[in-house]
Amino acid sequence: MTAMEQPNEDSIQIEAGLRRMILIELIFPVVLLVLGIYHGMMQVLYRAGILHRTQVLGIEYFQGLTLHGVVNAIVFTTFFAVAFGYAIVRFYLRRPLNMKVAWLSFTLMVVGTLLAAAAILSGQATVLYTFYPPLRAHPAFYVGLVLVVVGSWVAFLNWLPPYFAWKREHPGGKMPLAVVGIFATFIVWIIATVPVAIEILFLLIPWSMGWVPTVNVPLARMLFWFFGHPLVYFWLLPAYVMYYTMLPKLAGGKLYSDFAGRLTFLWLVVFSAPVGIHHQFTEPGISDTWKFVHAFFTMLVAVPSFATAFTMAASMEHGARQKGGRGLFGWWKKLPYLDKDRWLFSYLFSGLVIFIFGGVTGIINASYNLDTVVHNTSWLPAHFHQTVAGPVFLSFIGMSLFLSATLTGKPIKFPGWNVWVPYLWTIGIMIFSTGGFISGAAGEPRRTNLGLTYSNPQSPLYHADWQFSRICTTIGGILMTIAALIFFVVFFATLFGRATRRGGLELIVSEPYHDESVPAVQGFTPWLIGAALLLVIAYAPPITQTIRSGFPGAPAYSPANPLPVSGSPKQP
Amino acid sequence: MTIFQLEKRIVWVALVFVLLLFGFAALAINTFHIGLPTCLTSVKPFTKGELITHSPTHYELHYVARMWRFEPPEVTVPAGSTVDIYLSSADVTHGLILLGTDLNLMAVPGVVNYTRVKFAKPRSYQLLCHEYCGTGHDRMAATLRVVDAASFHPQASAPEPKIQTDPRYKLLEAKECMSCHSITAEADLAPSFKGIYGRTEKMTDGSVITVDDVYLREAILDPDHKIVDGYDDLMPEPVLTDEEVEQIIQYLKTLK
Repeated sequence: MTAMEQPNEDSIQIEAGLRRMILIELIFPVVLLVLGIYHGMMQVLYRAGILHRTQVLGIEYFQGLTLHGVVNAIVFTTFFAVAFGYAIVRFYLRRPLNMKVAWLSFTLMVVGTLLAAAAILSGQATVLYTFYPPLRAHPAFYVGLVLVVVGSWVAFLNWLPPYFAWKREHPGGKMPLAVVGIFATFIVWIIATVPVAIEILFLLIPWSMGWVPTVNVPLARMLFWFFGHPLVYFWLLPAYVMYYTMLPKLAGGKLYSDFAGRLTFLWLVVFSAPVGIHHQFTEPGISDTWKFVHAFFTMLVAVPSFATAFTMAASMEHGARQKGGRGLFGWWKKLPYLDKDRWLFSYLFSGLVIFIFGGVTGIINASYNLDTVVHNTSWLPAHFHQTVAGPVFLSFIGMSLFLSATLTGKPIKFPGWNVWVPYLWTIGIMIFSTGGFISGAAGEPRRTNLGLTYSNPQSPLYHADWQFSRICTTIGGILMTIAALIFFVVFFATLFGRATRRGGLELIVSEPYHDESVPAVQGFTPWLIGAALLLVIAYAPPITQTIRSGFPGAPAYSPANPLPVSGSPKQP
Repeated sequence: MTIFQLEKRIVWVALVFVLLLFGFAALAINTFHIGLPTCLTSVKPFTKGELITHSPTHYELHYVARMWRFEPPEVTVPAGSTVDIYLSSADVTHGLILLGTDLNLMAVPGVVNYTRVKFAKPRSYQLLCHEYCGTGHDRMAATLRVVDAASFHPQASAPEPKIQTDPRYKLLEAKECMSCHSITAEADLAPSFKGIYGRTEKMTDGSVITVDDVYLREAILDPDHKIVDGYDDLMPEPVLTDEEVEQIIQYLKTLK
């Protein structure tokens, strides 16, 4: 019997309703992920020129790409963050939650997902997950996204009463680090989703319904990227929560610095949003001054990631030395890389390794003038797969498996295979991204069915010089698909297996090694004021400029027709 | 409460490191003059792509990005010239990347983008769209040639092919037929118009037809009905009068 099958001291019994809801919120997006991963693999095959087609099995290239982005990056991540948030709030604050509100949040998110999925699958929302106007999606797509977001807001509201009750009962007490982390996650999420809600509700839905003839594209794009960058920190923060509160214990030691964790979470609340224009460096309509200001803030948002890298290395070193690790580098040998009882370590550790490369390439993208070399090339997907498909994806699927297994009391099936999943994924993503970086720096465009032209020797547009990267992305993509398949087998075999003990809500809790109470990082209030101030500084002038400039609006277009959707006026 | 020395150092090292990186970016702006495309709100969006000559070494190039081509599709300038590139979108959001350079622009509907490039040496550049703009995005590309200043003839930079002056061609263009079809033999999103009349085509259902007046009329008015093998059912139903359909059919007959 492995250690995970023993009743665990870090396990608590929770209400049956909450247990059921967390389980469904974890399993539902993993099922959808099968679809998302399939379309990821298809991307690689199309782009490598293995397929010279516009569609496979009735799903068109860009329709599949839309599904890949919406399912993997929006639906899976949001559902997981909500489920993980419920687990943390219930586990650390030890108070039952309002189940009516919880099921309301759940229903909104599921209905929203189904609406958006129906719009995409019927071919009426082939607009990719960035849904840039004036390409128009069916209104159901926009309404679906709004419902998913509102559902996640409702979940966060549900966590506020236990949070304040805990504070009342522990005057002067330190809020558990994981709770600070998950609250930071959802504060960033609120900051991110308000501008995109404004974009969707006031610009896109009225225009997509035909109530207004045109849409202000520069304004919509600015609001989208106001959302787009804090969105990536909404993805990363739950991973950081796992790094700070679980990885040190899994490595056999303690968290090197509790202060670094709190500072990281609060710092991201302040700096994750006033940076969105770094996605718009090559766009007209925004002055260089504001592009430069956002480039500066973007550098500051890298600080907590560096601090996290140092802190994690120190924490793992502490763990390894506890287990007899010696020497300047010798201690690396004492980490539980393939320990089946601590299999979550392999998921978190692999993500950290990938993130080193994702972080460095992110700094390159944000470095103002360097961006013109790589903007909208395959460099970009190579970069963000090393972040969202690296630490984020691996920690999210790892924790989905961990929570599902412990809540049901079922042992992990195929543990020997399971522990290798993240390493295989890491090898795959490194090969995949290397290809993207090389051809991206040479200008290979992202979001393009290369198989039709640039990867098609029959086409006059054929590029033989991108051949090396095609081989890399294909090998990498297939390895990632195999790793994901093994994960799906482990995940569903575990769920369909027999329970060997009573299930409970279990989290891994690391103790801090240095545990100071630095007053500056004990409360959200000063940091929230800082965030509000920076947002006004960074966004009030460029948004005002965009509105005042009086840019002519654009009518709606369907992706398959160069003429505006009938009823819309023709562009002057 | 004191913070342990190494913990403080972690934060300081991280801060100094990223500010150093930012310093390099600022340095590059000042010393190498590597900036970003400039915002232009004073220039109104345009729909005519053209090369304007200011002097033998200074040109103004107006690119229009539209589904799914750049106008003008081919441009020639002499080596050593400075080119002011203006980019406007006629429909949705597009991108423009000039391969082999760091010229990288977004074409956003409603706003004109601008950047200045100096072309030192003769070379043929490919430029392509790098933002998803619909079905034909994958083949939206154009050419920019930099030729030796001695062999450059200004009039050769914008030859208007004779065929494009035909009013019936203009009709095909206005109805956006030319976004997918072409009058050259090049493989495209849709069957080429070159030599289409009288051609035998295999259909996706296995049948073989000969292109005649009846078939053309049906293919124009009910494009979903029969699809030529190797192509996808992409064509929207056009809005055309009977007279226009007849004009198009007569024009297609002339394209040998």
